[in-house]
Amino acid sequence: MVNPADAQLLDELRRAASQFDPPPPAVIEAARSSFTWRTIDAELAALVFDSGVDRPVTALRGGEGPRLMTFSSSGLDIEVEVANLGSRRQLVGQLVPPQAADIDVRHAAGTTTIQADQLGRFRADAIGSGPVSLRCRLAATPSGPPVVTEWVPL
Amino acid sequence: MGAEIDVHDLVQAAAAGDSHGWDGLVERFGALVWSTARAWGLSLEEGADVTQTTWLRLAEQLGVLRDGHNRIGVWLASTARQESLRQLGTRVADHADPGQKEPAAPPAATATPPEPEVMLWRVLRDLPEHCRRLLRVLSAVPPPDQEELAAALDLKVADVPAARTACLEEFRHRMASIGIKADAQDS
Repeated sequence: MVNPADAQLLDELRRAASQFDPPPPAVIEAARSSFTWRTIDAELAALVFDSGVDRPVTALRGGEGPRLMTFSSSGLDIEVEVANLGSRRQLVGQLVPPQAADIDVRHAAGTTTIQADQLGRFRADAIGSGPVSLRCRLAATPSGPPVVTEWVPL
Repeated sequence: MGAEIDVHDLVQAAAAGDSHGWDGLVERFGALVWSTARAWGLSLEEGADVTQTTWLRLAEQLGVLRDGHNRIGVWLASTARQESLRQLGTRVADHADPGQKEPAAPPAATATPPEPEVMLWRVLRDLPEHCRRLLRVLSAVPPPDQEELAAALDLKVADVPAARTACLEEFRHRMASIGIKADAQDS
């Protein structure tokens, strides 16, 4: 299927890639440790809007405002504003429909647990940059499955 | 074919909670995910974030994917591509610097003639965008199959063989034009 000359050229390319741009050991280690973050029986909230990529290009010019994201599951939407504070991220969010919940902000440095108030408002300061996921444990259904957002790099 | 059966077993093991199954998936597809992020022009730091995000998403969705999707490599390549494009989008939004040109620069020129691998990497960097991207993903170890390559590049699977042949031909042509006979360097 691949002719011998192509196969040899590809071998040489693979040697060069392994030499000049292999996956860094820390990246592979992070991939391995990702397994420990999996949650069993959680309901997944998919990222359905991200102003970082979904807004029109013309809106980017004056784009000093926070990044807005919406995650959606069958019974709950999670709206989040992300502001950059240097290398840190500030998250301000809203659960829809509004309700109280414990929210685990899962990120590279560990888990930070915060509370959403009765109106569904929550806030987390000084989250390190990198992939983040929120796990919401709703006060109304404490024994029900938590809702977890897709991981997104912030 | 044998490799595919192995992957299926690894997915089943990982979905059942066996970390050895997961580590096997990382070993098999770690370079594909990384190469996809780098092929789309991400910096080392951005590539690290996208790679970890891709694996975290797989961990989250393993239970769903186990039953409905036996082509985990295709899913990983596709997710890595989509997240790479998201990263590029936010880079524009942050009006950050455009990042270094990828793939990584080989060592700077010195008085001694560069190694053949260095020349080859430079030629790869200077290829037209679509060929640079294709050959960067194709140079992952172990190599991706056609469906994984198509997913990483957002090509139709049927278009992959012709694109690969054309890009290798272009690459060989450029190597020859600077006096390197690509097919006979290590004899």
